[in-house]
Formats: sequence, structure tokens, C-alpha cells
Amino acid sequence: MSSNSASKSKRSLKSTSSNPSSSDGKRKKTAQKTLGMAWGANSRPSSRSAFRNSPFTDVGSYMAVKNQKLHEQFNAAASSSSYSGSSSGNIFSGVSIFVDGYTVPSSQELRGYMLKYGGRFENYFSRHRVTHIICSNLPDSKIKNLRAFSGGLPIVKPAWLLESVAANKLLSWTPYQLDQLAAENCNQAKLSAFFTLQYNEAPKIANTSVDDCDNQLFIKKDEGRASLEQAESCNEEEIDLLQLKTDRVMSEGPSCSVESSCEVKGLEQSDCSPSDMKNSDLEYKSSPCKASVSHCSNSLDNYSSCEASSSRNCLPTNQLHSTLSDPNFVENYFKSSRLHFIGTWRNRYRKRFPSLSNGTTSRVSNPYNEGSSMKTGVANEKNVVIHIDMDCFFVSVVIRNHPELHGKPVAVCHSDNPRGTAEISSANYPAREYGVKAGMFVKDAKIRCPQLVIVPYDFRAYEMVADQFYDILHRHCNKVQAVSCDEAFLDVSDTKVGDYELLASIIRKEILNTTGCTASAGIAENMLMARLATKTAKPDGQFHIPPGKVDDYLYTLPVKALPGIGHVLEEKLKKKQIRTCGQLRPIAKESLQKDFGMKTGEMLWNYSRGIDSRLVGLIQESKSIGAEVNWGVRFNNANDVQHFLTNLCKEVALRLQGCGVQGRTFTLKIKKKKSDAGEPVKYMGHGYCENLSHTITIPMATDDVGVLQRLATQLFGHFHIDVGDIRGVGLQVSKLEGAGDSKRGNKRNSILSWVSSTSAKEQNQNLISDLPKCGESGLSYIHTFDESFSDLEAWRPTDGVLRQPASSMKGSSIEMRAGSETGIYNSTGIPPLQDLDVAVIESLPPEVVSEINEMYGGKLLGFISASKNKIINTNIHDASTKSCEDSGVAVEDMGSLSRAHLLESNTVATDKVMGCDKEEDLDFAAPATFSRKDIMPSSLSQVDSSVFQELPEEFRKDIIEHLGHHQGAEFLKGAFSDVSDKQTEVEASDLSGLWVGNPPKWVEKFQISNCGLLTIFAEIYLSGSGGCLSSLLQCLMSRIFVFTGASTDGFGNAGSWLHELFKQYIDIKITTDVEEIYLCICLLRRLTERFEFLLQVYNAIIPHLQASMGEHYGGTLCIPLL
Amino acid sequence: MEGRDNQTPQGEIARILVEFLEVAITSVVFLKGVYPTGAFERRRYMNLVVHKARHPQLYDYIHVAVNGLFPFLTRDLIDRVAVVFLDVDVLPIERFVFKLNVNQSYSSKVQQAELEFSLRSFLIKLPLSEPLTKVLPPNCRWEITAYFRGLPQASTSKDVETWIPSDAKQWQQPPVITPIKSMSSEPLSVQVYAEDPNPSVS
Repeated sequence: MSSNSASKSKRSLKSTSSNPSSSDGKRKKTAQKTLGMAWGANSRPSSRSAFRNSPFTDVGSYMAVKNQKLHEQFNAAASSSSYSGSSSGNIFSGVSIFVDGYTVPSSQELRGYMLKYGGRFENYFSRHRVTHIICSNLPDSKIKNLRAFSGGLPIVKPAWLLESVAANKLLSWTPYQLDQLAAENCNQAKLSAFFTLQYNEAPKIANTSVDDCDNQLFIKKDEGRASLEQAESCNEEEIDLLQLKTDRVMSEGPSCSVESSCEVKGLEQSDCSPSDMKNSDLEYKSSPCKASVSHCSNSLDNYSSCEASSSRNCLPTNQLHSTLSDPNFVENYFKSSRLHFIGTWRNRYRKRFPSLSNGTTSRVSNPYNEGSSMKTGVANEKNVVIHIDMDCFFVSVVIRNHPELHGKPVAVCHSDNPRGTAEISSANYPAREYGVKAGMFVKDAKIRCPQLVIVPYDFRAYEMVADQFYDILHRHCNKVQAVSCDEAFLDVSDTKVGDYELLASIIRKEILNTTGCTASAGIAENMLMARLATKTAKPDGQFHIPPGKVDDYLYTLPVKALPGIGHVLEEKLKKKQIRTCGQLRPIAKESLQKDFGMKTGEMLWNYSRGIDSRLVGLIQESKSIGAEVNWGVRFNNANDVQHFLTNLCKEVALRLQGCGVQGRTFTLKIKKKKSDAGEPVKYMGHGYCENLSHTITIPMATDDVGVLQRLATQLFGHFHIDVGDIRGVGLQVSKLEGAGDSKRGNKRNSILSWVSSTSAKEQNQNLISDLPKCGESGLSYIHTFDESFSDLEAWRPTDGVLRQPASSMKGSSIEMRAGSETGIYNSTGIPPLQDLDVAVIESLPPEVVSEINEMYGGKLLGFISASKNKIINTNIHDASTKSCEDSGVAVEDMGSLSRAHLLESNTVATDKVMGCDKEEDLDFAAPATFSRKDIMPSSLSQVDSSVFQELPEEFRKDIIEHLGHHQGAEFLKGAFSDVSDKQTEVEASDLSGLWVGNPPKWVEKFQISNCGLLTIFAEIYLSGSGGCLSSLLQCLMSRIFVFTGASTDGFGNAGSWLHELFKQYIDIKITTDVEEIYLCICLLRRLTERFEFLLQVYNAIIPHLQASMGEHYGGTLCIPLL
Repeated sequence: MEGRDNQTPQGEIARILVEFLEVAITSVVFLKGVYPTGAFERRRYMNLVVHKARHPQLYDYIHVAVNGLFPFLTRDLIDRVAVVFLDVDVLPIERFVFKLNVNQSYSSKVQQAELEFSLRSFLIKLPLSEPLTKVLPPNCRWEITAYFRGLPQASTSKDVETWIPSDAKQWQQPPVITPIKSMSSEPLSVQVYAEDPNPSVS
């Protein structure tokens, strides 16, 4: 087509001359760019005729010359015209129009305007010189093939120029778009908007500095078209050049260069219309440079095909604000997201007021607010909660410095395009009167309120005002719960101010003075009512709902007003004819819970009565942290996705680090376009999507970007999804742990930390004690108990089954310690007898108890046994203990029995799982407990039974076994006295093979010995200690001994017998069960405390033991020090 | 080979023992904190939370070393298996010894459930025993050493490959032994104890 060459000539003399008879095939590739011109040439048949008669070789060269001449004429006219320049300004600078067809005013008049106001006028269409096409009407064919006609340039009605002149500034052309077009693709409006900018601005830059830079670039491009690579490289050059230009043109500084351009694009903005706002001008200016570049690079393939369809209109544009064009999309997306601002604000707040928020939470922990859940009548007058909320924060912060906007409808939005699908995020009260609401599309809002002023966000100002806001709140009240950047609850219950309304008004006034924005306050007895009160108070007011008026207030309140009731719930309630809280109230809680679920039902029931038990200051720790982008997500290939994921991971990692946490579970969420979903209504929105997600859990929490990336890629691999269908991507991290936790790692499972902390406490107590005797002995026992309990505690995580007993034991150990403290403080001042907790005293070691008894002049014991009788009556073991005929003995036995019982449950547990050394401690404590017969060992049967029930089967069996043995022991009691009365001859011979036989030989020997202890040994063995010496010794320790005294002279024999017994036992067990030996030795060592003669046995046995150990194990047995 | 061994009670015991040793040794290494906690992942074994090495090399070392013991265990050639922690100078700091005794004359069927139940108690006790909760100095290393009752026969050379004779790192002084857990049953006895340097000597 001849048009091809014609168009060429316009742009570049060089190319046409070098290649006069341009081969069509080659040109085709570039033709797309010049189709507009093709049309231009076509529409003027005159050019052809001119060509025939002219001296020019072809149309191209002719047109080039002609255009040049026309430009010269235009320039001359512009410069000569006295009215151009300073006075009238250059409102059209950068605008170059081409008038198509009949217009009112005529094209010549328009040319005059352009001359006068610094614009340019093209007689012939060129995609590269023309920025706007002006026309009033278009034939159908052109509309159908719009892109071919316009080259993507905006087609605007002449009114735009006229009104711009009238306003003396360049107005956004978008409202003036040709009706035919606007109607057709209203949701694609921004695509052309984008082009406007490109051609609006790029030439401007070029013109100001190097006029033909533009041309050069395009020449280059034409040449390089042949290969994509070349085209790309020249795009890069172009980028550089343009950016350089931008920098140069904008003297304001580098901040507004590329970065700012990205910022604009990242916005959830449907239109890039030139902004009227002065301050944002710079950003907008720079954006086109970038945008144009990305356009070129992204639509290269478009260039290569000369098919220019209208569908292409949307293609490149869609990419412009999307993940495709902007390498920093994610970052910019969040930089300009209001939700992100709100979401991350809390961190900022925490950092700013760390001590305060902590202080709040800790202080709140006292149950002062218990009464607030009471119904109105009884309500505690003291509880006063003030809810403060800034009035339309996002608007008022922006307009506070614009007095001219006060009282006018203003809304905050990314974009000011009246046709846009950008959503209004906040509207002020005048605007709300028109029905403008948050979440509305700008175009809808403009329909309701044509004079609505749209202002952009100003995040810096929001931050500043929010900080000021909280500064004021914290100054007046120490219990502040931040809800959002503009909303907070204050608990003023314990402030000294009597008049809360006055306080609220003072705070509000201060906020107004400091920030220039108004705030509203609601005062009530709990958070729910305060919040509702604020609703009534708004705007710029305050409202107090005294407890007495809550019922009346709520009665007529629509249920929807209650927090937590949304559309769905409201609809459900409506079906039940419930519209107000008053109607909700008669319904029973149970039926509400049945209909709406437990939680919601309870909430409805409570809220309809104004009951809200939440406490001010309770901040919920976030359970997950993540980032999700659902706008502007468009991918061409896997690399795009990879790049996007990388950026998303960076963002998430930053957020994790910002919160100081690490997570173990990672969820990648993807919004996949539904197969039948078309282009979404909202520009670059996600439309109808399926939500998909995959989750992975790793063993160690992390906040590392690299790990995140790896996981994200891995997760993405699970989806098997066409990248083109992805409309949103989110990465969420849960199972959060404090960043410091993992470093402690190994320490967590160490009991040492436990033990050392308790023992440190003990030491402190020791220091406090001014009764060293009592303090030391008593406390050391308690210490050992503590240790064993903390063992159990530490053991708990490994096996959930023992949890209950462990904690209950823990409880008792704490009690014991409390008891010991009582003991100590007795020295300074004895509390009255009735103040003492019998259970605590019973838990104390006998020494301590006796000390205390002395302090009370012996009354303590009577007191204890008095209460003991009571306990026995209620003792559940009463029935099972058959030997309780004699009450006098029974008291003793009961005590000992249940005491032993507890100890055993401890020791049995310990036996199974604990370190033996601990056991030794335990056992060490035990004899102390039983050392004095005159003191009742404690009855802990109540603890006992619960412990018992929670114990695992195996332990229970053991305990039953031991229990049975005890009962057996009691039965044997009668027989025992008979046996011990007999003075049996001790045969000192034949001590070998003591453990041979079943029962072993020693049992018989001991049984007939004249030594009480030895007989008890035998007796215990026979009653079923299972042949294991350690359990025998354990039983021994839990027994109460009655020394007959007569047998002391038999100790010499007994000692050697016992020595032999141990020695032979060691020999048997040394190879197989060193643990058992260890236990026995430890127990023996403890028993030496009670039976001095055992010390000889112990001392004699140790060398033998260590020798055996050395022989078998090459080392010495570790015997813990007492 | 394995199949044949499995049919004998000794083979069955050895199989259980190998499995147990692998878990127990990993637990010891985990508990001593030689590696960061992230090097392990939580697993369930005998209905207990145990740890498994995530790093392939670490896992392989333990796995291969212990499984290499299998043929010897069936013959009860192994006296002890020790996890030896060494300091930078390759001197032992602490040793955890698994003393094993497989009853060679045991011929009735092995009650696997009972055996595992007994072995379970080891795994419960390990994390709570005092020697295991002591922190090691930095930069220490560790190894698995097995003490044989006798030199393996040449015929088993295939199995010997994973286990090479070495000079065991002996204590300079007799160590102090802390028993951790002992279990003795008819077919199998296992004892775990820790060896620490004698504080009075060092």
C-alpha cells in the first residue's frame, strides 16, 4: 500500500530515502505503528494527486517536505502571534492535536487555540506527533477498527480544548472522550488514558530539550524492528533516555523520577488522568515515561503483526499497571495500599508505645472488669470506657490544610477519573449525604454527587496524625487499646476524673487543636456500648450511655448496628422477624445458639443486652502474617510469576521481621480466573475467581527471604495452573514463634533451667530465714520436692497423659513452698492458728511441722488432728481400708498410707521415667517425713485420687500393687509383733547365696532375726515388692518404724547381713541393671539418715560397688551428693 | 540374609534394636544440641515424639552406622554402642553408652510389642536425664563407636565394610558413670548410661 511509504516519509527522511520502494513484507512489521497515518493519508486523496505531479520521487518524500513546511508555518505563526507566550500560558504544552472531520469550532479555530496556548496542531496524522485526535463524530468503520484509526491515541471532543482554555489549565480529557467510544468500552477507559499520558508527556519532554530525540528514537526502532532483540535493546535505550530527560526536566529532584512513576502505577488506580492536584503533578508527569517504555516492550509482538484489532486496545494497557510492566509491582502495590497502611500500622504503634501497650495488658490482668459483664442494674459504676474515633479520618487528614474544601463533599481515592472503577475508600460527611459511601466506584459516586472532590491518599500525613492522636490518648489515660490508626478504646475507670464527659471533650478538643481533625467519642460502661455510643455521637460529637439507659438505647437499635452482625446474619435474623435488639432479647440463648452456632448465638444474646465482657487493652497476638495481591496481577509466563513471588516473599519477610516473629507454616493462595469469567468490571481487578491454596509446614520457623522464596516456588509448583489465569497471589505465614525462641532451642527441654530457678528461689528464702535450723532443714526438703515436681512438669510435654497429675503436683509443691514460708515468717510473727491451712501444714516435712508446733505451744498438732478426723471421715479410701477398726491406729495408718500413696505415685512415675538422681532426692525427703511418729504425715488423698486417675495404665497398676502391699503390711502387723517378740538366734554362718531361691534365702533369715529392721525387710519383700531391692527400700522409707529398742544389740549382725545382701545384689545386677544398683545405693544413702547403723553398711558397700563398676564399666558410679 | 535373620528370634530382636538405636542415637545427638534444632524434624515413634535428622548426611551416617550393626547384633557380637562427643582436640567430653545384650539362647517367639514397650521407656527418659540436658561446648564433634565382643569373622566381610576397627578414644581417667536407664528382659537387655570425666581428676 502506498500509505505505508507515505507514513514513513513523515517520520523519517532517512529511512525512506534509503529504502524508497519499501518492501511490503518488511514494512508490515512496522506498519502497525503507522496505520494511523495510513488512514490519514487515505483520507486525503489530494495527497495522491499531488504526488503524481510533483517533482518528488514518492509520496513519502513529498509528505515529509510538506509536513516540514507546515510545521515551520505553524511555528512561525506561534512565535509571531503576539498573544502567545507568557500571559496566556502554555496550557496545551505537550498537547498536539489532529482534527478529524467536521468539528465545532472548526479545525482552523482549534488551530488558533493551539497556537495561542502553546499546543501543536498537526495537519496530517502521525502517531508520534499527535497526542490527541479531536473529532465530534466517527464513522462506524473507524470505530470498529479503532486502533487502526487512532493508533491508540485518545479521541476527544473539541469541547475539551474549549473548556481547558476556559479553565486556563489542561483538564483531564477523559470526560470528553468521544461518546461512541466511551459507551463502548467504559471499563477500558484507562487504556486510552494511559496513552494520553504517554503522548502527552513524552513529547513534552522531548520538546523542551531535544526536539528530535523523539524522532531519532523511532528511527532506531524502525531499523531495529527486524529482530526482537534489537528492539529490546533500543527500548532500553529509550528508557534511559527518557528517564534522563525526566530527571533533567524535573528540577525538583530525583525523588520524583522513576520511583514516583512506579508509585503511581502501583496504585489501585483505574485511570491515569493528569491530576489537578498540584502536589501530585510530579508523580504523574514522570509516570508516562516509564509507562511508554513498558508499553513498547510489552507490545512488541503487537507491532510485529499488522493486524490492529480493538482487542489490542486492552492488551497492552492491562499489562501496564500489572505485574508485567512494573518490576517493583509488589513493593509499590503495598506502598500505596491503604489496607496495607492500616494493617501495618499496628506494628508501628507497638514500636512507638511498647511499654505502654505492655503495661496496659499486664495491668488489665486484674479482674477489675468482672462486673462489666453484669447487666445494667447492678453495673459497676466504676467501669467507664471511652471509645474515640476520628471522623472520616482518611478524608479529614487530607483536607485539613485545605480550608476551601471544608463543607464540600470530598472523598479519598486513588484516582479521580469520573468513569473509573477505583473504589472510594473514605468520604466525608457532606459527601455521605449524597449517598457516597466507601467501597463505591468513583463513577457511581460521581453520578450521585457530581461535584464530589476526589483527593489522593497522603500516607505520611496519616501516620503523623495517628501518632499525634495516640500521644494525646496516652497522655490522658494509661489503658488504651488501639483498634486502628484512628480508633481506640480508653478505660478511664480508675482515672481520678469524675466527669467522664468532660474528659472526653477535653481529649476531643486536644485532638482537634493538634491534628486539625475532629473526633467523636462514646462513653459507656463497656466496649460494646461505647462503640455504639460513638455511632450516635458522630460526627464531631460525644455521647454518653449511662448504665441505666442501656436497655432503652438498645431496644430500638437495629441489629445491624451491632458489631459482628453483617449482611448474612442480618438476613437470617430478618427471616425470623428480628430487626431490633429489642426483638432479639426475648429469644433464649440456647435457641440462638442452636440457630446461629455457639459463639454467634452467645454474642447475639449478650450484645442485645449490652453485655460485653471484653477488657480494654487485651491485644490479640496475630496468628498469621502474610501479604496478598489481588489487583493488577497478570502474568505472561512462568518467569513473571517467579519474579512476582520473589517480591512477594520479600514483602512477607519484611513483615515477619517487622513483627519479630518467624513462622513454620506457609500457605500460598492463588486466585484463578474462573473459566467463564471475562475481563473484570473493575479495572485490573480479579473478577470472579476460584480460590486455591497449598500449605507446607517446615520444622524450623523462619523469616528468611531465601527460604520463603524456595517454599513459595515449591508451593506454586503444586498448582499446575495456567499462569495467564492467575488473578491474585497471596502468601501467608502461620504457626508463628517469636524470633528469639528458636535460638533458645535446646534450652527449652532442659530441666536445669527449671531447677535452677526454683533453687535460686529457695536460696533466697534461706537468706530471708532467720531461723537457720528450721529454715535449712525444712527448706531443703521442700527444695527436693520442688525438683521432683519440676521434673514431672518438664516431663509433661513428652507425654500428654501425665499432664493432669503433673500440674496438680506442681500445685501442691507450690503450696508446700508457701507453707515453708509460713514457717519462716513464724519466727517474726506467728499468724493465728486458724489462719493456717491444714493441708499445707500436712505437706510440710515433720521437722518443720514440729517447729511450728513448738511455736504454737503444741496447739498445732491438736489442731491438725482435729481437722484430720474430718478428713478421714471424707476420705474416699475409708471404705477400702479394711483395717480401720481401731480408730486410734487408723488415724495413724491412714495418714501414713495416703502419704505413702502419694509418694509412691511420685516415685513410681519417677521410677519409670525420671532421672534416678531425682528419685534419690525424693527418697531423701521421705524418711524425714516419717521420722517422727508423733507427727501426723499429711493426708493428701484428695490430690492422690486425681493424680491416680490421670496416671497411665501402667503406673496405676504399679500403684495398686504397692497399695495392696501396704494393706498387706497392715494385715501382717499383728503377726509381725509376734515374730519380733521371739528372740531368734542369729546364725552368722552361711551368708552366701542370699538371693538364691524364691523367695530368696535372706527373707527367711531376716524374718527370724531378732532385728526389727531386718524383719521388716523380709516382711516387705513377702508382701510383694517384686524381688527388686530398690522398691523394697522405697517401701521401707514410706513406712513408720517402731523400734522396739531391745534389738539394738543385734545391729552388728544385721549390719553385716545387710552388707552381704547389698553386695550380692550388686554382683547380680552389675552386668544387667546398673540403674537398679544406682537406685538402691541412693535409697540406702537416704536411709542412713534415719538409721545410723546403715551408714556402716553404706560405707562398706561403696568400695565394693565402685570396684565392680570399674571392672565392668571402666568407670565409677556417679553418686550424687546429698 | 536379612530375611533369614528375621526368622530367628535374634534377628527379630536385632531388627527392633537397630530401629531403636537409630532413634535413640538421633535423640541423643538432638538433645545434646550439636546441630541446630532445625536440622531435625519431629516424628512419631512408638507413639512418642522423637526427632529425625533432616540433613541427608547426618541421617545417613546414623542410619548406615546402626544398620551396619545388624548382622553383629544377631550374633550378639556387640557389647556396647557409644555416642561419643569429642572436643576440638578430638578428646572425649562425654559418652553415651548403649550396653546391649541379646540372649543367644532365647528361642521362643519375640513379643515385639512388649519389647518395644520396654524400649519406649528409654526414649521417654532420654530427654529428661540430667547428662543429656547439659550443654556441650561449641565446635564439638561426635561419632558412633561400637565395642565388639570379638572380632567379626572374615566371612562377614561384606557387612564389615561400614564398620572399621579403630582405636577407641579412651578416657584418660576412669569416668563417672551416670545410669540413665536399664532394661533387662528375657530376650534382650539394654542399658544406657552416660560417661563423664571425673570432676575430681580434671
